[in-house]
Amino acid sequence: MAPGSDTARDEDYMRKFLAVVRHEYKKIVLKWAFLIGTLLFPIIGACFAIVPAIIFSLKGEQTRIVVVDKTGQILPRLKANLSADRIAAKAEEALKESYSEPNAAQQDQMKQSAAMLASGFAFVEYDTGGKSADEIRRELNEKAAGDEIDAYLVIPENVAAADATYEFRSRKAGDFVANDTLRDALNEAVRSQRLAEANISERLVSDLSRNVEFVSKSINERGEEKDSEMLFIASLVIGMMIYITLTIYGQVIMGAVVEEKETRIAEILFSSARPFTLLFGKLVGVGLAGLTQLAIWVGSLAAIIGFLSTQADMAPILASLPDVSPLMIVYFFVFFIVGYFIYASIFALIGAMVTTVQEGGQFAFPPIMVMLIGFYFCFAVIRDPNSSLSFWVSIAPLFAPMTMPVRILAETPPFWQIALSVLLNCLAIAGLVWLAARVYRIGMLMYGKRATIPEVLKWIRQP
Amino acid sequence: MADQETLCVKNVTKRFGDFTAVEDLSFEVGAGRVFGFIGPNGAGKTTTIRMIVGITAPDEGHVRLFGEAVSSRVQDKIGYLPEERGLYKKMKILDQLRYFAVLKDVPRETADKRIDQWLGRMNLAEWKNKKTTDLSKGMQQKIQFISTVLHDPDLLILDEPFSGLDPVNVEFMIDVLSDFKAQDKTIIFSTHLMETAERLCNDILLINKARKVLSGSLREIKASYGRNVIALRAVGGDAVLNDRSHVAGVVEHADEKDIELAKGANAQVLLRKLIDAGAVITKCEEVEPSLNDIFIDQVSQNRG
Repeated sequence: MAPGSDTARDEDYMRKFLAVVRHEYKKIVLKWAFLIGTLLFPIIGACFAIVPAIIFSLKGEQTRIVVVDKTGQILPRLKANLSADRIAAKAEEALKESYSEPNAAQQDQMKQSAAMLASGFAFVEYDTGGKSADEIRRELNEKAAGDEIDAYLVIPENVAAADATYEFRSRKAGDFVANDTLRDALNEAVRSQRLAEANISERLVSDLSRNVEFVSKSINERGEEKDSEMLFIASLVIGMMIYITLTIYGQVIMGAVVEEKETRIAEILFSSARPFTLLFGKLVGVGLAGLTQLAIWVGSLAAIIGFLSTQADMAPILASLPDVSPLMIVYFFVFFIVGYFIYASIFALIGAMVTTVQEGGQFAFPPIMVMLIGFYFCFAVIRDPNSSLSFWVSIAPLFAPMTMPVRILAETPPFWQIALSVLLNCLAIAGLVWLAARVYRIGMLMYGKRATIPEVLKWIRQP
Repeated sequence: MADQETLCVKNVTKRFGDFTAVEDLSFEVGAGRVFGFIGPNGAGKTTTIRMIVGITAPDEGHVRLFGEAVSSRVQDKIGYLPEERGLYKKMKILDQLRYFAVLKDVPRETADKRIDQWLGRMNLAEWKNKKTTDLSKGMQQKIQFISTVLHDPDLLILDEPFSGLDPVNVEFMIDVLSDFKAQDKTIIFSTHLMETAERLCNDILLINKARKVLSGSLREIKASYGRNVIALRAVGGDAVLNDRSHVAGVVEHADEKDIELAKGANAQVLLRKLIDAGAVITKCEEVEPSLNDIFIDQVSQNRG
């Protein structure tokens, strides 16, 4: 039998490589810790962002209200103001003032919440029939006690006077959403009445308020100043996310390598596949698990932001977030992958040197320190993304995976710098994976005691 | 290639720094043979086995399996049970066995079928979905053995397969190995249990201090290793036994003596002399040297 042809051998390596990748991937992803860790972030995010919105949008019970209006001037205006159309129109105006033209989704959402607020009130007819104010109050209090009505509003005779008091009594005084809506509508109604009495047309007032739209653009420009604060937070979050995932998955790799060494499984594995296939399969499999987790995080973050952008009241906050283009997200993943391979191969190398995870912990200190330094460099990069320090730390191997994404977010550097950074780091990966493989193939079979640095150097030189 | 040797080790040397683990070792293992690899601790057995299965490469010389250099594809034909062995602690038995099988290129369906068969045979069927940590030590060893045979290898290489097994399981393993032997598969195993080696092996390789001491078929070795020992049960004739021209040494047992004949001495002559001296003989038997004797003799000679 002739020795296998090259293609047959390559296919064999490939099949085994994929088997290792699948094994390592499943080993991590099907664990509870991974599921919880991965889903916790979106769930917490959802709790903060979506749940309040949903709870507020839950239909409260209708407030049955009696409006005592002997003047007959306010009630019709109040009813009109509490119609769904008016509430929606008002919300839109408010949004225009503070931010910008609402998009379709926001309009839709505003209409919905307006309709909901409007349907929150049921006006109950009540015949005042010449009763005194005290009588009316007593009667309505009884009605409220008897659960016939929830609230009543007494409009004074001197509607438009400055010292007029509007009495509002409610069994549900804590329902601030309904109460606020009612107060706004009442204010509006009274204002309209005052304007009417002063012979000022409401049209004029709304014309005047349209000017604000123009002013809002300059506010937007001033808003840029605020941007840097949001940018700082966003950069910090990104730098942190990469730092944390790299640390976690580095430790995962080290744990997996040490386990196979500690349990002597390595010996069985080595009799089935080449050490390089096993090591690289492990790096890729664990890396894919990390990517899965990161993709779920980024995806859910995008979903939460997407959801929030339909919420009219969140729009101003979102507007101050830095612009993130799809290309940036691609870069983010590229640098995560690069960083992962750099640190994972270092941790794999350590795992092959030591005999227990505890021992590995001591050796893990230097690479974690390097990562931490890289993370701290992020602050320098955020402050001045175009300084020469920022340039060097964002192309330097080991630091770039943390610093470059932050720099891209702060102020995207020329493409050649990004390309150079990726290239340099890929060279570092090639070197580190090679080193790790040299140590792995021998270290995995050395039981009993932790290897010394001279020993490791000898292993690397060994053919 | 019917007469192809399954394994051919030629002039193999392996060093670790200044320490020579295996020196200029050559031997062959024929197809369908059971080959016992014996030697004291630290003799180089495990290092040699690791070179055979392709875990480490020899510094000098070469190893050929099925007529080929060791490669990933050739490895798929070998079932290797290391001396130091383990399983993934927190993984289900089924999942680990599947992984070990797929690394030997066994298709999933075939692997699942064989896993069920072997677990059934080992009475471990209900442990399939349990984790390693739930299993006893003995059970784990059976699982480890299953992992080495899932790909139906043509060559089994077992490093100390019986260490740590209770006597019942040793018998069970011997039974399983006999089945492999019956299927004309080649088995190489290292052991320090001479009785077991003696029972199972066709061929023997004894190494000590990195070097080959003895090799060949067990039968031939024993035949050539005539130590001329006689088991004797007799009353009287002590003077004859003390005559160093005939007797090299006497080992006293409870009711009989092992008489080692002096060089050139003849059992028949000795017997006659004993009778002439008035000894009453109830037993006189030539003793074939046990593998254990050969082992101890060779190793101590070597040391001297």
